[in-house]
Amino acid sequence: MAEAVIRDDTAQDLPTNRARRSRRQYAAPPFLSIWAVIGGAAVIVLIGAYPYYGSSAYVLSLLGKFLCFAIFALSIDLIWGFAGILSLGQAVYFGIGAYVVALSLKLNYALDHPTRYGGKIPDFMEWNSLTAVPDWMMPLYSYSVAITIALIFPTILAFLFGVITFKRHIYGVYCAVITLAESLILQEFIIEYQGYTGGFNGITDYSNYATPGFLWFILFLVVVFFIVARALTHSRVGTVLKSIRDNDVRAEFMGYNVANYRIFVFCVSAFMAAAAGALYAAWVGIISFLDAGPVFSIEGVIWTAVGGRGTLIGPFVGAFLVKGAEFFLSGALAQWWQIIVGGLFIFVVLVLRDGIVGSIGNWLRARKKKATLHQVVEESDRKAHDLQREWRPAGEPETDGSI
Amino acid sequence: MPDLLEIKSLTTRVSGFTILNNLDFSIEENELRVLLGPNGAGKTTLISMITGQFRPTSGSIHFAGRDITGWAPDDIFQAGISRKFQVPNMYETLSVFDNIMVSLQGRRRVLATIFQKLTSEERDRIWDILEFVELANKASDPADTLSHGERQWLELGMLIASNPKLLLLDEPTTGMTEEGKYKTAELITKIAKIHTVLLVEHDMHIVRQIGKRITVLHQGQLLAEGPISEVMNNETVRRVYLGKGKFQ
Repeated sequence: MAEAVIRDDTAQDLPTNRARRSRRQYAAPPFLSIWAVIGGAAVIVLIGAYPYYGSSAYVLSLLGKFLCFAIFALSIDLIWGFAGILSLGQAVYFGIGAYVVALSLKLNYALDHPTRYGGKIPDFMEWNSLTAVPDWMMPLYSYSVAITIALIFPTILAFLFGVITFKRHIYGVYCAVITLAESLILQEFIIEYQGYTGGFNGITDYSNYATPGFLWFILFLVVVFFIVARALTHSRVGTVLKSIRDNDVRAEFMGYNVANYRIFVFCVSAFMAAAAGALYAAWVGIISFLDAGPVFSIEGVIWTAVGGRGTLIGPFVGAFLVKGAEFFLSGALAQWWQIIVGGLFIFVVLVLRDGIVGSIGNWLRARKKKATLHQVVEESDRKAHDLQREWRPAGEPETDGSI
Repeated sequence: MPDLLEIKSLTTRVSGFTILNNLDFSIEENELRVLLGPNGAGKTTLISMITGQFRPTSGSIHFAGRDITGWAPDDIFQAGISRKFQVPNMYETLSVFDNIMVSLQGRRRVLATIFQKLTSEERDRIWDILEFVELANKASDPADTLSHGERQWLELGMLIASNPKLLLLDEPTTGMTEEGKYKTAELITKIAKIHTVLLVEHDMHIVRQIGKRITVLHQGQLLAEGPISEVMNNETVRRVYLGKGKFQ
C-alpha cells in the first residue's frame, strides 16, 4: 500500500498555485468566536443578576424554568440537529430525572413536616393507603444517591433503547414513533402507580431551591453543557455524526459503525435531558406526569425547530422565545395558544427551515460569499486592465480602468 | 501474484429470482479489472455482496486470505474494501474538506474519534487528495453545491482517502460529459497504479481507454474473461452484449 497518493509525475500537472492559495484561505472555524463569548457572557450576567435588579418573583421563577427548558432543547438538538435522530420521547429522560429528584426532596421534606395523621411519609403515599416508604425507595433519602440515580438511570435506559432500536437499523420515522410510544408508556405508568409517583396530582409541596444562588448554579450547568455540546459537535466525532445524519449508508460503507455512534449521542443527550429535569424539579417545586409525556417532548422539538436545529444557540433562543411568548400571551389567548404554537411549527418547517438562528447564519454566510465574489470580479477586472495596457499601441490614451 | 479477492460458487436468490448463479470470480493484487454486462447481469449485486450489503444465498467470498462472507459493511471496510456507489453518495451538508476528512484511513470507533485531532500529516494528505481530484479550490464549499461530475470525483477522493486494498467502482462516469468521462478514466488509471480496482462500466469508450482485463457477466453467470481484444472478439459476448458489430 503506497502511503501517498500523489506521485511526482501527477503532482506536476496540478494547479498547485491555486491550491496553495486555497490552503491558506481554508481555516477550520474557531472553537468559540470572540463575539459568541462576549454575547454569551452578557446574557448570562443579565439573567443571573436579575434577582439584584428585578423584583418580580414570577419572572425569576420563569428564568430558572426557561434555562432548564433550554438544556432540554439542547439535548434534543444534539440528537436531532446533529445526528438526525428525531425523538418524540425525550421527556422520558427529563421526567425520570425530575421525578427521582422530586421524590428525594419530598421524602426528606416529609420527615420534618408530618402529614395530618402524623405520618412521616409523603402525603400522596398516605392517600394511597401506604403506611411506610417502600424499601426500594430508601436510598432516595440521600441526596447524592438520588442525584446519581437521576442522571445515570435515564442514561442507561437510553443505552438500552439505543441497543434495541439502532442496532436493528430502526431509524427515522419508526424511531420517532417508538420514542413517542415510550413517553406515553411512562406517562401511563406514572398515573397508574400513584402510590409511588403522586399520579395525576404529581409531586408537590416540598422545599425547592428557587434562590438566586441556585439560578447561578443552573447557569453554570448551562454553560458546561453548552461547552460539552460544542466540543462534541466541533470534534471529529461531531463530523462523523453529521456525516451519518447526511448519509448513513455512505458512512457505514466507510467503516463507521453507525449504530454505535447513534447510541453514543443518544446517551449523551439523555444525560443532558435528565440533568435538565433534575434541575427543573429542584427549582420549581412541582412535578407532574405532563413533564414526562409526549406533549412536552414535542414542545421541546418545536423549540429546537423554531430556534434552529443544527445550531447550538438555536435551542436556547427557541426555548426562551416560544416559552416566553406562551407565558406572557397565553393569559390573553388561552384557548388559541396551542393552535398558535402549532401554526408556528408549520411556518418554521415550511418557510424557515433552519430556524431563527440558522436562517440568520445562512444570511450572514450568503452576504460574506457575495463580498468575496465581488472581490474576485474586481481582481479579474484589474488583471484584464493590466493586460490591456501591455498590448495597447503606443500613444493611445489610458482608459479609466473599466472595460 | 496471489488472488486478493476470491469468490467461489456464489449464488444469490431474491424472492425466487436467481441474480447471481454459481459465480466464480477472482481478482489479483494490483489489478485493474473491468466488469461488463448488460442491465440485470448482476454487476451491482455482486458489488453489494462483496461489501456486505446483502448476504449471499450460498457460496463464499474470501478477501486477503480471510473469509468475509456475511460480515457487516463496516467490518468489510476495515478489512480493506471501499465502494463507490453508482449515484454519487456523500455527506451533503459537510464541506468538501470534511467529506475527505471523515473518510481518512484511521480509527473508526466512537471513543477513539472523540479525542482524535487532525494531525498536520492528515491535513496535508487531505490537501493532496483534494488537489488530485481537482477540488482544492472548493474545499470549504458544502458538498451539495458541487456539480454532478465534481461529486463523482469527490466520492473518488473519499475512497482514495480511506486507502483501501480493493476499490469497487460502480459506474463512476454515470451522467458525465464526454470530456468528464475521459478525465475520470485517466484518474482511475492513476488510482489503479496504487490500488487494486474493480470497475463496473457500461461505456465502451472508457473500457477501451482503460483497456485491461475484462470480465463479462450475463444473467448472473460468468460469460467471458480475458484481455480486451480477446473478449471483444468473442462471438458469445458480441451476441449478448455488444450487439452485431456495433462497436467495431
